[in-house]
Amino acid sequence: MITGQGDVALAEVAFVFSGDLKQASFRQFAQHRAERLALGIDFGAASERFFDVTVAGDEALIDMFEMACSLGPYDCIIHDVTRRDIVSPASN
Amino acid sequence: MTSQPIWSPVALSNMVEPSTSTGAVVNGAELVVWRDSSGKAHVWEDRCPHRGMRMSFGFVRGDHLACLYHGWQYDTAGQCSHIPAHPQLEVPQTIRMQTFAAAERNGIIWAGATADANAALLPAERTGLVTVRSLYADCTSAKALKVLAATPLPGSADAPTVEAITENYVSLTSGPIRLLVAIQIMGEEKTALHMMATEGAPVAALARYAQDLRLILETPVAEAA
Repeated sequence: MITGQGDVALAEVAFVFSGDLKQASFRQFAQHRAERLALGIDFGAASERFFDVTVAGDEALIDMFEMACSLGPYDCIIHDVTRRDIVSPASN
Repeated sequence: MTSQPIWSPVALSNMVEPSTSTGAVVNGAELVVWRDSSGKAHVWEDRCPHRGMRMSFGFVRGDHLACLYHGWQYDTAGQCSHIPAHPQLEVPQTIRMQTFAAAERNGIIWAGATADANAALLPAERTGLVTVRSLYADCTSAKALKVLAATPLPGSADAPTVEAITENYVSLTSGPIRLLVAIQIMGEEKTALHMMATEGAPVAALARYAQDLRLILETPVAEAA
């Protein structure tokens, strides 16, 4: 389990963002948004077609992260997002 | 704002009413200048951390500034304190505006280059000033200074006496008239001049002088010669 700032881990979600990606750009964007939203973040596999990332923190803030990353930085186009709950708030 | 003076003028005080916001630019940096309901002025980056919306399009609710886009509300310290879509959410401290020091001096709102800009470096306080107007021109601040120094004030045929109070604040004197001009560098070719005069000065004549000044400021050098 990864933890958000203040060791808050209300939820943990694994995302796969797929589309036309510039890895460095998307990673920087996701990192920045996670820091802004006080989410813990763990990067997984990535290519120019997909990006695997897991975040932890308040569920509402994770939803905001998903929305922000689904739009992505200007040089990435996201076609699809898959979301898998690792820890859901109900199981806390 | 790093290459700027410590304090930059951003608006005439009476141009920003309590509970309103407006935009300003200092050396290309876009700022929101707003007053809370108590009348205190604040200067922040003009960008909501949520979706990048200009906060100068937002609205003031008491001592909070709310973004027009999704209504995220920020307190006077720039901390996001309420997200309407998630009213129960305890907003993390990481969601906050970039703030700058704000001060009012001599009828002008000044923005600090940082949040903790030294107030001792503000121009000395003067009393008995009246508002003339702000003037926005497409020219460099160097050209603005040159033209200000060369253009006679109303009722005089001679160039005024120029005193540099600070690097971006000058006094122009001609006979009984004293005009104080705060120079806001907006960009390489964009400058704003915020003008106040000593009490009893002919404000209407000075406003017309400022209008004429703009034409001179924006006249290309080749045409002027």
